[in-house]
Amino acid sequence: MNDLRRVLSVARRLRKERLSSIRLKVMLPILVLFLPGLAWGFSDPNIVLPGGHRPDTAMEVLFYASLGVVFGATMCGVLMAFDGVSKDRASGMLEVRLAQPMPRQHQAAALVLGHAQAILIPVYTLLLLTVAVVRFRMGEWPSLGELVVYGLSTGLIVVWYTLFALLASTTAREQGTAIAFGVGVWFFFTFLWALVTTMVAYVSGVAVGEPNDPGWVALEGMLDMLSPNGVYHHLLETQLPTVDRGIAAWQAWLAALVWTVIPWWALHRRMEALVP
Amino acid sequence: MAEPVLTFTNVHHRHAVPAPKAWKPWAKQAGAGIHGINLSLYPGQVLGLIGPNGAGKTTLLRVMAGVLPLREGTVTSHENGFDRPVHDLRYRTGHMPEQVRWQGTMTVMEILEQLSEMRGHGDHHLGPLLTMVGLQGRSEEALDRLSQGMRQRLSIAAALLGSPKVLLLDEPFNGLDPVAAEAFASLIRRLIEKGVSVVISSHMVTQLEGLIDRIALMHRGQLLDEGPLNEVEKRLMLDGRYRLEGPGSMTSTAFLEPLRTEILSTASNGDSWSLTVRGEAEAVLDACKAQGVDVQSWAPVKPNLVEWLCAATGMSFDDISLDVASSAMVPMATAEVMEDE
Repeated sequence: MNDLRRVLSVARRLRKERLSSIRLKVMLPILVLFLPGLAWGFSDPNIVLPGGHRPDTAMEVLFYASLGVVFGATMCGVLMAFDGVSKDRASGMLEVRLAQPMPRQHQAAALVLGHAQAILIPVYTLLLLTVAVVRFRMGEWPSLGELVVYGLSTGLIVVWYTLFALLASTTAREQGTAIAFGVGVWFFFTFLWALVTTMVAYVSGVAVGEPNDPGWVALEGMLDMLSPNGVYHHLLETQLPTVDRGIAAWQAWLAALVWTVIPWWALHRRMEALVP
Repeated sequence: MAEPVLTFTNVHHRHAVPAPKAWKPWAKQAGAGIHGINLSLYPGQVLGLIGPNGAGKTTLLRVMAGVLPLREGTVTSHENGFDRPVHDLRYRTGHMPEQVRWQGTMTVMEILEQLSEMRGHGDHHLGPLLTMVGLQGRSEEALDRLSQGMRQRLSIAAALLGSPKVLLLDEPFNGLDPVAAEAFASLIRRLIEKGVSVVISSHMVTQLEGLIDRIALMHRGQLLDEGPLNEVEKRLMLDGRYRLEGPGSMTSTAFLEPLRTEILSTASNGDSWSLTVRGEAEAVLDACKAQGVDVQSWAPVKPNLVEWLCAATGMSFDDISLDVASSAMVPMATAEVMEDE
């Protein structure tokens, strides 16, 4: 059995276990409300968003509905993976796994893939439903390119939060700490990042929250590169020609690469040093 | 004696323990661990790794299993007349950690298949293994539903995946009832017959009686003595000890003095007496008979853990027990050394 097959095989069993978990069944209604539910709302022909804006293309609706991914899918990723290592460590199963002659980096890869797949399968299924909802409500399909970018970006943001949660799980000795760290990171980037942006703008002398001020737009766009949620929105904005926040598509994809590689590398390092 | 399967030479491992500083809160330093371990494992033999809690038994087993890295020292295997360095111990050893609480919705078969895949075996022939450990009827049982005894069996099944030459068992009898413990011991005997080298750690020497061929005494991260059981007993002067018991009271033991017998303890409560001696048991019995002392029972006395440790360290029971409670895991030779990692 070659290394790749071994990683995929271990990931498949992990995915199967997680997919049948009660935890996922509890999260499913939340995902349904957040993904196709939001798309249903944003594709309402009479909707008027703050600022008098009306989404008039399928991709724009998908962009607004991505709020559901940021709030729901990422949280589900964290909740799915927060005990990916700590639970096995507490039960002693981690020691059994570490005693197997599979390189720890491969074990880390299997952990990431298994957990990310377990949350991405329902998320992608619901995203297809979301697209169908948009088509039903607006009579318009998003283009293939838009769909690919939407799917890829969503996959990436879920992988990032899964990585954060697994990293916390390798560090924490007990599950309470692991979940506190995972949820804390999610909370920071999802809710508190606006505060960080505001503070930096204030210190820089930029008018805070003024959507027509190019200084504010540029600063917000730049600071968003430091947040996984911000990078996710930058990636989606590559498909919205009307939006320009001073970040080129290649910069957004480069940031996505960095947000993938660094936590993955950190997880590998943690796994190498892991003591049962 | 057969050639050793694995030889560990001057093995060291010290745990990295947090030592936060104001300017470096993540700082760690070398803490407790194992120190200067030299050990050989032979095929078809059982080595009992004996020591009090915190002696370093689990650390040593984890190093042997390849779970913890070797900070210093070498491991070699003897193959075709040559000693070859071993780079990845995980291919040669099967490791059964202490009391794994197998949990989750996976079945027994599924978890074994997963571990088998982690060992690189795509084909699953796990039926005979499950039969060997007595889990053949439980293969579709979810892990959450297994009893403690079944979990121990699953742990040993996991350790036996890939037919390792060395089996490492960390406190395997913990939590087992006498019936399960006997079944477990019988399973270990079957593996020994197949030529597997087994290492069992325990702080209960009595559990290992009749099972181990060699003994390794550990204390404060160091190996105090190691070798065949009877040789170590003789070296530490713990061999040839007998307890005699009888009714009434024994007024004097002076008649035993000419026999060059060491009297270890005497006790009497008026109704009965007991005497523990080290020396020629038959001569003692003859002397008792000649003095008209009624001896009702006569049995060899096996040393317990405390006696082993006292004999090996030359310390008293009080010193040993206080020592165990305080700084048990700091290697004796390096107790004062604490350097940054």
